[in-house]
Amino acid sequence: MNKWLLAILLSLSLGWAYAQQDVNTESTANSGAEENYQFADEQQRQLFLTLTAELRCPLCQNQNIADSDAMIAHDMRRKVYQLIQQGNDEQQVLDFMKSRYGDFVHYQPPVTPYTMWLWLLPVLFAVFALVMITRKQRVQEPSDLEEKLARADELLKREE
Amino acid sequence: MSKNLRFALPVILFVVMIVFLGFGLFSDPRERDSMALGKPLPPFELPDLYDSNRIYTPQDLTGDVTILNVWGVWCVTCAVELPYLTALREQYGVKFVGLYYDQDLDPDFGTKTLARVRNEVTSMLNRLGNPYQYQIFDVVRDYSLDLGVTGAPEHFLIDRKGHIRLHHIGDINERVWTHKIKPVYDQLIAENNSAVINE
Repeated sequence: MNKWLLAILLSLSLGWAYAQQDVNTESTANSGAEENYQFADEQQRQLFLTLTAELRCPLCQNQNIADSDAMIAHDMRRKVYQLIQQGNDEQQVLDFMKSRYGDFVHYQPPVTPYTMWLWLLPVLFAVFALVMITRKQRVQEPSDLEEKLARADELLKREE
Repeated sequence: MSKNLRFALPVILFVVMIVFLGFGLFSDPRERDSMALGKPLPPFELPDLYDSNRIYTPQDLTGDVTILNVWGVWCVTCAVELPYLTALREQYGVKFVGLYYDQDLDPDFGTKTLARVRNEVTSMLNRLGNPYQYQIFDVVRDYSLDLGVTGAPEHFLIDRKGHIRLHHIGDINERVWTHKIKPVYDQLIAENNSAVINE
C-alpha cells in the first residue's frame, strides 16, 4: 500500500516539475523575441510581435523569426525593429523583406495564378467526389429489383 | 464512363501524386535563388576589412567578372572551401572578393574588437590559403540582408557591369565549380572579351 502511495506522490511531483519547466521555457521564449528592444508605445510593440510571428526564417525550416535563434533571424528581428522605429507600417516592412527573400519569407502566401490552386484544389476535389458518389448511387439501382425481391420471398417461404 | 477509364483514372492520379511528392521529397528546401538575381548589386558603402578608411561601393565591383564570397571564420564550410577557392584563383585567375561578416560581433552589443576579428581572419587565411583580392567588411550584417543571404558560405557571380548573374548557396567544390559555376563564368568572361574587342 505504501509503495503505491509513494508512486502516486512521485508521479504527481514529476508532473508538477514538468509544468513548472513549461512555464519557464515559455517565458524565455517570449523574452527571446523581444530581446532588448524598447518601444515608444504599446502599438509599436504589438506590431513588432505580429511581424516577427508572421515572418518566416529563410534558413531554418518552418520557424518564424520570433522563435528562431539562427543569426539570420536575429538580424531580421533587428531590421524589423529598425524599420518600425523609422515609422514604417506593417505592409512596408513586409515589402522590404519580400523584396529580399521573396514570398517565402511571409507565412501568408499571396493569391497568384500559381498559388490559387492551394485554395481551389480542395474545393474541386470535394465537388468531384460529391459528383462521383451521387452518380454511383444512381447507377447501383438494379433494374430487376422486383424480380429479386420476389425470389427472396420465395426463399423465405421455403425456409418456413 | 468506360470501364478502362474508371480503372485508369485513380492510377493516373496516383502516379501524378507520387511524382509530385517525389519532387518535393528530393528537392532541397534551402535552395532558393536570391531575389537580387539578375539585378545590379544593391547599393552599399562598406569599409575594407583591414582598412576602415577605404570605403567600397558597387562601383568597385564593376569592370571584372567577380565572385563575391560571403563568409566568416566561424563558418566551418567556409574553411573547407578556402583551399579550393585559392586553387581557382591561382589556376584560372578567378577574382574573389570576400564579403566578411562576423557572427560574434553583435551589432547591439559589440562584444568583439575589430583587431581581434582581423587577427582571426589573417591566421585562418595563412593556414588555409587566401583566395581574396580584398575583403569588404559587412559591419552590422546589413548588406547580407540586402543580398538575401541566409547563411555562409554563399557566392554571387557578378558580371562586368555589376549585375548579379548567379547565386550559389553552400560551398564551391570541384563538382559545383565544373557543373554550375564554370559554364556561367566562362560565358561572362567571353562576354567581357567580346565587349572589350567591340570597344
